Amino acid sequence: MTEAHPPGATVAPAPRAQRQTERVADNRRTARLRPETITAVCVFGISILLVLGSRFVSPALGSWDHVNTIILLASFLIVVAFGQGIVIMIGGLDLSVPALITLGGVLTTSWIDASSGMSLPLIPAILLICACIGGISGLGVTLLRIPPFIMTMATGIITASAALGLTSGTPRGAAPPILTALMKASWIGIPVILLFILAFAILGSVLQGRTSYGRRLTAIGANPVAAHVAGIAVRSSVLIAYMLSAAASGFAGMMLAGYANGATLRMGDDYLLPSIAAVVIGGSSILGGSGSFVATIGGAILLTALSTVISALGIPQGWRTVIEGSIILIALLLLRENTFAFLRRRLAR
Amino acid sequence: MPNWKRKLSLCAAALCTAAVSLSLTAPSASAQDKKFKIYLSMSYSGNSWQSEAANIVKALAATPPYDKTVELTQVISGTDPQAQIAAYESMIAAKADGIISFPISSTALNRVIHKGCEKGVKFFMYDATVTEPCAYNVSYITAGFGENSAQALVNALGGKGKIFLSRGVPGNSVDKRHTDGAMSVFKKYPGIQVVDEYYSFWDDRTTQQETAKALAAHPDVDGIWAQAGEYGAIQALMDKGSKLVPMTGENSNGFRLALANPDFQKRGLKGVSAGSPPASAGYAFKLMMEALTGKRDLKPGNIEYPLPWVPADQVKLCKGQTFEDGCNAFPEGVVPSSFVTEVFSPTLLPELSIQSALEGKPTPGATIQPLPADVPKAADEPGINCQKCEPPADQYKLTKVQPTVNP
Repeated sequence: MTEAHPPGATVAPAPRAQRQTERVADNRRTARLRPETITAVCVFGISILLVLGSRFVSPALGSWDHVNTIILLASFLIVVAFGQGIVIMIGGLDLSVPALITLGGVLTTSWIDASSGMSLPLIPAILLICACIGGISGLGVTLLRIPPFIMTMATGIITASAALGLTSGTPRGAAPPILTALMKASWIGIPVILLFILAFAILGSVLQGRTSYGRRLTAIGANPVAAHVAGIAVRSSVLIAYMLSAAASGFAGMMLAGYANGATLRMGDDYLLPSIAAVVIGGSSILGGSGSFVATIGGAILLTALSTVISALGIPQGWRTVIEGSIILIALLLLRENTFAFLRRRLAR
Repeated sequence: MPNWKRKLSLCAAALCTAAVSLSLTAPSASAQDKKFKIYLSMSYSGNSWQSEAANIVKALAATPPYDKTVELTQVISGTDPQAQIAAYESMIAAKADGIISFPISSTALNRVIHKGCEKGVKFFMYDATVTEPCAYNVSYITAGFGENSAQALVNALGGKGKIFLSRGVPGNSVDKRHTDGAMSVFKKYPGIQVVDEYYSFWDDRTTQQETAKALAAHPDVDGIWAQAGEYGAIQALMDKGSKLVPMTGENSNGFRLALANPDFQKRGLKGVSAGSPPASAGYAFKLMMEALTGKRDLKPGNIEYPLPWVPADQVKLCKGQTFEDGCNAFPEGVVPSSFVTEVFSPTLLPELSIQSALEGKPTPGATIQPLPADVPKAADEPGINCQKCEPPADQYKLTKVQPTVNP
């Protein structure tokens, strides 16, 4: 298997196999750490340093309040990036994210009236609708073999246009109380959203790292042909991945509606590239087959922390974007596996 | 790999066309001797402001007698100037009588507009403007939103304090005009300190998030000067705790209700609601139809739509479906918070109701009323509504409010 690759398959298995032999041969402590763990620790470490260092930018930063703001603003991105991460894991890309965020938000505010008690049955129903749209993307990718980014772009455009047509431009209604509570309430002094993100992180990483479905995704991303040969139901796994991503985006739309107490038609626009960036900064391969959700959360928090600190610098917009882009680039360069391998060799010496 | 790129762009183009043709409104059917072929060209759609403006044009075109004489076609071309140029080209080729439009750029469309004028097409721009002299610009931009709202904020702050500027879209000429006007006032007061300035893209949710970020660094802010999206700024303040601060913003219903809320006033909220009215689209449409039907002799140029100006103590809730008895906001639940209230005008647009603004439907029983004979002329603004021109010496003159504090 390490010698001959089937045509069209990715070459990811080779270094993976090498890494495994390394791991068997080299059992010093530094070598036993998985690269995903190192990335996650690094990304969180950089975020913490950034938040602590931000005291020099403005004395109000670096406080518990600042951390709360970051978690709140990052929560949308974390949920979106969970879905995006699953799709990237299988070697795809989900460009329908903004449209599904908008759809989730618009359906929530227009179907669930702020005063109605129908939130509990309607929220899963809306998530199901979003998942079905993701299913259409999944079917296009698996059955019709349309490249993922074209297929998801198409479903995204159709969904966004449908939302525009249905609302004739002005989404109605307000957010149901349960979503407002999710975003704004506190429970014994702890913001509910913080608890929610913790629970979401645990569930998400268990799904990705500990369930057989999660392992199947890794196998498909590493080599779909080999995964098929190994008896994995590639098509249905891929289909479910797109459905999960769409439902996650739809839920992020609901959270945004709860946060802003209403929906707008461009509410999802700011999440497409950051969702991909969070996944990649979290050390996942953009080609699929590797990555961990915990590190992705770190990526999302790093991006959000960065934007809050840059916002406080009080410099013109152009320079803000230049600095933001440069820091992301440097982070990506530093977080590459080569850097870790180098460090590991150094530490082991 | 240019091949997949080409496929991608072809595919995108096809889908965009499909999306555009879906949103085309079907023209009213009955055949008449002379129907005016009118095109409504929008650049982007998808926020309340844009759709309300488009809806009131649609509603007016369906109000008698225009329901029989006007064939209105709506085209949405997106945020790319090239796409709007292409849209204008095809409207001219289809022998349009008039094009009413929200232009995406004040300069990029000039050439195609000039070409259209030579073929006898009338171009009426609403809200945003173009510098091509053969077009009609109907806008509030010259009416001084920036400087007046800035002075109102300075007055509310007693001439000193830390403030945020919540701006619009980077590089946009309207955002620049507003901010320049505001800064002309803020600079006079050494006690006013702009501690953060961010772009909120005239969107409630973006404003809320950007304001939340700014508040993390400056929890001690004393006031906020905001362009459209101001309802998000109030929400961000409320997320932070009980303290509210004076702020100015545009015309969302949510903001007007907040200004009038006694509880919020007690917590420190005061300010003024002013800014961009979607009603200017309706005014532009009626002017265009009067010019086309020969009822009015109107030369191309810059026409000023009056600046809506509602301080907190003048917010008055409407009981019915339109602005009557001087009311200027709707009760909660009638319209969404992001609804831009300035879609009505008792003198200029008595034909409209909430249904017109939300759904583009004519008000039952209404007929088109003639406009007042006098059309207010707008001042020159270089790069905004004229090319090689000088702004008037009193460009940033205060018209709605006077300073109550000395620098």
